[in-house]
Amino acid sequence: MAVVEREKLLEVKNLKKYFPAGKKGVLQAVDGVSFDIYKGETLGLVGESGCGKSTTGRTIIRLYDATDGEVFYEGEDVHNKKSRSELKKFNRKMQMIFQDPYASLNPRMTVKDIIAEGIDIHGLAKTTKERNERVYELLETVGLNREHANRYPHEFSGGQRQRIGIARALAVDPDFIIADEPISALDVSIQAQVVNLMMELQKERGLTYLFIAHDLSMVKHISDRVGVMYLGNIVELTTSDELYEEPLHPYTQALLSAIPVPDPELERSRERIILEGDVPSPINPPSGCRFRTRCPHAMDVCAAVKPKWQEAREGHWVACHLYDEEAVKQNN
Amino acid sequence: MDKLLELENLHVSFQTYGGEVKAVRGVSFTLEKGESLAIVGESGSGKSVTSKAVMRLLPNKIGSIKEGSIRFEGKDLAKATEREMEKIRGSEISMIFQDPMTSLNPTMTIGKQIMEGLRKHQNMNKSEAKERSINLLKLVGIPNPELRVDEYPHQFSGGMRQRVVIAIALACNPKVLIADEPTTALDVTIQAQILDLMRDLQDKTGTAIILITHDLGVVANLAQRVAVMYGGMIVETGTADEIFYKPKHPYTWGLLASMPKINSDSKELLAIPGTPPDLMNPPKGCPFAARCPHAMEVCIDHMPDATDVSSTHKAACWLLDERAPKVEPPEAAVVGGAR
Ligand SMILES: Nc1ncnc2c1ncn2[C@@H]1O[C@H](COP(=O)(O)OP(=O)(O)OP(=O)(O)O)[C@@H](O)[C@H]1O
Ligand SMILES: Nc1ncnc2c1ncn2[C@@H]1O[C@H](COP(=O)(O)OP(=O)(O)O)[C@@H](O)[C@H]1O
Ligand code: SF4
Ligand code: SF4
Ligand SMILES: [Mg+2]
Ligand SMILES: [Mg+2]
Repeated sequence: MAVVEREKLLEVKNLKKYFPAGKKGVLQAVDGVSFDIYKGETLGLVGESGCGKSTTGRTIIRLYDATDGEVFYEGEDVHNKKSRSELKKFNRKMQMIFQDPYASLNPRMTVKDIIAEGIDIHGLAKTTKERNERVYELLETVGLNREHANRYPHEFSGGQRQRIGIARALAVDPDFIIADEPISALDVSIQAQVVNLMMELQKERGLTYLFIAHDLSMVKHISDRVGVMYLGNIVELTTSDELYEEPLHPYTQALLSAIPVPDPELERSRERIILEGDVPSPINPPSGCRFRTRCPHAMDVCAAVKPKWQEAREGHWVACHLYDEEAVKQNN
Repeated sequence: MDKLLELENLHVSFQTYGGEVKAVRGVSFTLEKGESLAIVGESGSGKSVTSKAVMRLLPNKIGSIKEGSIRFEGKDLAKATEREMEKIRGSEISMIFQDPMTSLNPTMTIGKQIMEGLRKHQNMNKSEAKERSINLLKLVGIPNPELRVDEYPHQFSGGMRQRVVIAIALACNPKVLIADEPTTALDVTIQAQILDLMRDLQDKTGTAIILITHDLGVVANLAQRVAVMYGGMIVETGTADEIFYKPKHPYTWGLLASMPKINSDSKELLAIPGTPPDLMNPPKGCPFAARCPHAMEVCIDHMPDATDVSSTHKAACWLLDERAPKVEPPEAAVVGGAR
C-alpha cells in the first residue's frame, strides 16, 4: 500500500504538557511528541492509562495550553493564534468526542439544544426553522430520529448518548475530530455500532480522525496508522498492519502479546511476554529510555541516553536504541 | 464428575419505584470441582446479580431470590440463614470485585485485611495468621512480602492491589472463587499478569473459578466452560471450544462478530442493532428476538427451551428446532479460520 503525496492536515512538533505536582515536582504528562496526521486518515493513539493520550488530544485542541512545542493545522500555527475570530475558525474545524457519554452531555439541556450549541455559537442557522432542520438531519445522520430532539440525555442508553455526542461534534461541519475513547464505556455489541457509524461518516464527509483508545484491537480495526504511547512519549508509529505484524519497540511487542484473543486454542498455545511491574510515575520518570525499568532488552546505554525518534524503515518510526547502530556500538 | 455448585431455575428481582426489575430469569448451571466457568454477556444481562445471589449479597429489602435453588455441596444457599452464610462467605466461597480499591479498606494495613478472614474462619492466632499472610502475598507475586504486609493500600499500585484482593479471597482456601470482572479496571499488561496468576493459582490450589466478564479474549484465556447470558437468562452454554468454534445461538454469533480480532484484518464489524431488553418489561418470548436477524414468529411469543447440542453444549434458540430453517453463523463470527 504505497502512500503517495498525502496532504498533511495536522503537524504536531515536540509537543509538551506538564502539570504542576505538589511543592517540588512537575508531572510530565506529555513530553515531546511529534507526529503528522494526513487528510482523510485515522490516526490511532494507544497506550496504558495515564500515558498521556488524552492530554495529547486535549492539548492539540487547546483545552490545555501547551507547555512547549507547536501544532500546525493546514500549515498554520494553531497555538499562537491571538485574535478571537481566528480561534473561532479553528474551533469550528476541530471537534472532540469524549469518553464518557454520561458525563459529557449537560443533563439539563434537551438533545436539540446540546446538538445546536455549536450551530448557535458559530451562527450557522439563520432561523429557528433552519436550526431545527439541521438538528433533525444530524440526528438522522447518527441513526437517531427527530422525535428524540426534545428529550433529555438521561432518557438514552450509552450508545445513543455517544451518537448524540457525535451529532454535536458534526453540527459545525468540522474537518478533524479527536475522539477520546469514544467507545470505552460501551458494551461490545454497541461499540461496533458506534465504530461503524464513525467509519461511514468518515467516508461520506472525508473526515480526519485522531482516535484515542486503550483497546488495541479496536484501534487497529479503525486506524490507518497507529502511534503507541508510553509515559508521555510516543515510542512507535506506523501503519496499523505493520504495527501488528512487525512491532519494533519492545513495549509494543509486549502490549500486543498481552492482549488476549477470543480464540481458546491460540490462547493455550501462545507465548506471552509478561512485563514485570507497573508503569513508573510521570513525576520523576526514568532517565534515558522511559521504558527501561520494564524492558526485557534494556542495555546500559538505555539509562544514559534518551533514544532518538527515528524512521527505522519507510513510514515506520520508533524510539529505541536497539534500532540505532550508533547507540548499540556505544553500549558495547 | 463432582458437582460443587448447582443453580437451578434461579429468579432474582429488584423492587424499584418504577416496578419490579426481573434481573435474573431462570438461570441454571453447574460448577464442578476445580473447573473454571466464565459467564459472559453485556452489561445489565444479570451476571453480577447471579453471583451476588450465590453469595447472598443482594441489597436488602429491594433485591430478592424469587424462585429456584443454589445447591452448594448439597445445601441450598437460597434458603440459608445469614449466620450460615457468614460461615460460607470468604471461607468456602469467596468473591473478588472489579475495582480493587473499593474492596480494600484504606485505613487498614494489607496484613490486617488478609488476617481478618484467617482469624475469623480458621481460628489462627496472630502470629500464625501473619505468617500465612506473608506466604499469601508471596504466592500472588508481591515482592518483599515481609515488609509490604505492614503497608496500606494506597502504597500499592492498581495491579498490586488486585493481587492483594486475590490473596484475601484465597486466604481460607475457598472451594469456589467468584471473580467479577477482575481485570476490567486494569491495563492490558497488568491484566496479563493477573490472568497468568489466576491460572497458576488454580493449578496450585484446585479452586473452582466463576469468571464474570464481557471480554471474550479473557474468556478464551482462562475458561474451560462458558455460559452466555442475555436479558437475565443463559442463552448458550458449552465448553470454551464449543462456544468459540461451534456457537449455535445468534446472540453468541453477534458477540463474536462485533468484536475486532487483532489477528485478522477483516475490515467489517458486524454490529448487533438495537439495545438489550428492558427487564422491567421483559419480552415474553426469546429475549434476543428484537435484535435477532433470524427471528421468526414463534420467537416473539414463545420462550425457546435449552436444546442439547452435545452432552456439554446447550443453546436456547428456536433455530435448533427441527422445523426451523437452516441458518449459518455470519462470516465475521468465525473464530480462528477454518477448523
Ligand atoms: N440494586 C439494584 N436495583 C435495581 N436494579 C438493579 C440493581 N442491581 C442490578 N439491577 C438490575 O439488574 C440487571 C442486571 O444487573 P447486573 O449488575 O447483574 O448486570 P451485569 O451483567 O453484571 O452488568 P455490568 O456488566 O454492567 O456490571 C440490570 O437490569 C440492572 O439494572
Ligand atoms: N488536569 C490535570 N492535572 C494534573 N495531572 C493531570 C491532569 N490531567 C492529566 N494528568 C496526569 O497526566 C498523565 C496523563 O494523563 P492522561 O493524558 O489523562 O492519560 P490517558 O488519557 O492516557 O489515560 C497522568 O499521570 C494524569 O494523572
Ligand atoms: S531503548 Fe533500551 S530500554 Fe528502551 S525500549 Fe529500547 S532496548 Fe528497551
Ligand atoms: S429464538 Fe428466535 S429470536 Fe431468539 S435467538 Fe433464536 S432465532 Fe433469534
Ligand atoms: Mg484518557
Ligand atoms: Mg457487573
